Amino acid sequence: MTAAERLRLSVVVPLFNEDESVRPLVTAVRDALGPGDDWELLLVDDGSGDRTAEIASAAAAADSRIRLLRLARNCGQSPAMQAGFDHARGEVIVSMDGDLQNDPLDIPRLVARLEEGFDLVAGYRERRQDTVFTRKIPSWIANRIIRRLTGVPIRDNGCSLKAYRREVLARMHLYSDMHRFIPAVAAATAGARITELPVRHHARRFGQSKYGLSRVAKVLADLLTIKMIRSFRERPLRLFALGSLTSALLGLGFTVAAIIAAAYFRPEKVSAVVFPGAALLCFEMAGYLMLLGLIAETAVTEQRGDAAEPAPLARGDLR
Amino acid sequence: MSTQTAVSIVILVDERPEPLDALYDEFSAPLRAAGIPHEFLFLVEPSRESFAASLDRLVTSGAPVRRLLLSQAVPEGALARLAADQARYDTLLLMPAYRRVEAAALPLLVAQLAGGADVALARRDPRSDPGLNRLQALAFHGLVNAISPRRFADIGCGVMALRRSVLTELPLHGEFFRFLPVLAAREGFTVLELSVRQHSADQRTRVYPAGTYIRRLVDLLGLYFLVRFTDRPLRFFGLVGGVLGLAGAVVLLLLFIQRLQGIGIANRPLLLLGLLLLVLGIQAVALGLVAEIIVHLGAPRRRSYRLKEPGTGPNAPVA
Repeated sequence: MTAAERLRLSVVVPLFNEDESVRPLVTAVRDALGPGDDWELLLVDDGSGDRTAEIASAAAAADSRIRLLRLARNCGQSPAMQAGFDHARGEVIVSMDGDLQNDPLDIPRLVARLEEGFDLVAGYRERRQDTVFTRKIPSWIANRIIRRLTGVPIRDNGCSLKAYRREVLARMHLYSDMHRFIPAVAAATAGARITELPVRHHARRFGQSKYGLSRVAKVLADLLTIKMIRSFRERPLRLFALGSLTSALLGLGFTVAAIIAAAYFRPEKVSAVVFPGAALLCFEMAGYLMLLGLIAETAVTEQRGDAAEPAPLARGDLR
Repeated sequence: MSTQTAVSIVILVDERPEPLDALYDEFSAPLRAAGIPHEFLFLVEPSRESFAASLDRLVTSGAPVRRLLLSQAVPEGALARLAADQARYDTLLLMPAYRRVEAAALPLLVAQLAGGADVALARRDPRSDPGLNRLQALAFHGLVNAISPRRFADIGCGVMALRRSVLTELPLHGEFFRFLPVLAAREGFTVLELSVRQHSADQRTRVYPAGTYIRRLVDLLGLYFLVRFTDRPLRFFGLVGGVLGLAGAVVLLLLFIQRLQGIGIANRPLLLLGLLLLVLGIQAVALGLVAEIIVHLGAPRRRSYRLKEPGTGPNAPVA
């Protein structure tokens, strides 16, 4: 894509079975962004089984500022967002949900805030219109854990309404369910300057939420990944060496216990196998973790040799 | 001039081939009758070189036949990749070097692609196999269908028409070629099964060495992992490690409580069991973390989505 083909703004909206929402969404975005042609709305149909693609296609045919990307199957929100980011032409890219719970009227405010010198502006839902027990409370707990573990002080990671500079997205690659941790990934992989802005939130008008409590275990596993990537992305051996050292010390403790038991206790009271066996297990794990760390280090070194990888933005401070 | 789509019939000459010239005579007849332009491409493993000699008569007579003799034995997936490279036409018809279905099925399979399918898989129906074969097929499909995004009735047939892009876009390394329809359906390609008549030569009892069944089970485990956890390995390893580690932690906690009550643990094999479970749990999670690092590092080179259509006109996606 040449610079001449670039636009000022791309709005990326993943859609999955949102046929009732598409038309009001398109109208709301048009009303919010005005009659100019320096923006585009990129609708990403994530393998919907209803009429979402058909309605979005009609909207794209009627307005050259609207484009439709159709994924071959339901890939999930992160791949759908990544597809939108890959094909967006805007210098600034805004992501939002397609269920009308985000308000397009907030887009100009997010963009204005971004232009104050940030790389990513994350919206947070000030008066969230969701159920308390299945959405608000799990979300509140998850956000606290994410803040604590990632060190990125974002209060609402679940809000899709965010604005990004193009350069930040070029350094991020969303897969699996990474969309929940975009600020943490942006800070870890692109050194992005991040800030927050309160945004409106509306109750769902059509259809049903695609998420439930079942996501909690998945979020925890993904969180562990993000934490590791954030902390040990460059030197994973350090993480594994830490585990290895702890295990070796535990093994040393069992060895000492075995020696003391053999020297001071009667043989019928102390097994000749249990403490030495425990020590051997700990030493085995110490060696295993160290070897695993070396494999991880090799994988990282291999990747760093790839000249195609873009250089980081080299700005890591959060405001 | 024919308006039919031209087809490359690719015959993988690896296991138990029949005389190749007779195979050509039988399978080219219905294609000629249907007016389908075609070529036959025989990919011959080194150990089957003697069979290639039977094609001399055809080659010298000017029949549309090409032979490629491989320099080394490779898995069928690699043969399929080679077929995608070498085939003259974008529509391929893959089949083994023995008769599974009646030759009349070939034009029908090709016609399915003109109707919009990406993969048209032959299903031998009705099957008139011995009971032992049916039992094997039942067990195999039970396992495959538990993993697959859609059900298949005869994935082992191996006769299929497909577009070249299917072979180039799917991960067909190792023995995954066997599961091509499952992988294609998972990637969002349109896959359908077409009932065709089973060849009389195919109706015999087949019993394989025990090692073959073990390899199939290992392949299925690999397929399960590929389909469910490729982008999120920690969820698999974390589940295994979490269960093991939690069981170990509970055992050690019980021993710790007993120790506080004055009961000695130096002669309790349970200590070894608890520690072993904990060690195995930590090792599984650590392995998952390394897998996550590898997936994360590979993300920039891998697309987590596939577009349904490239798009045309003013609203086409711009990469």
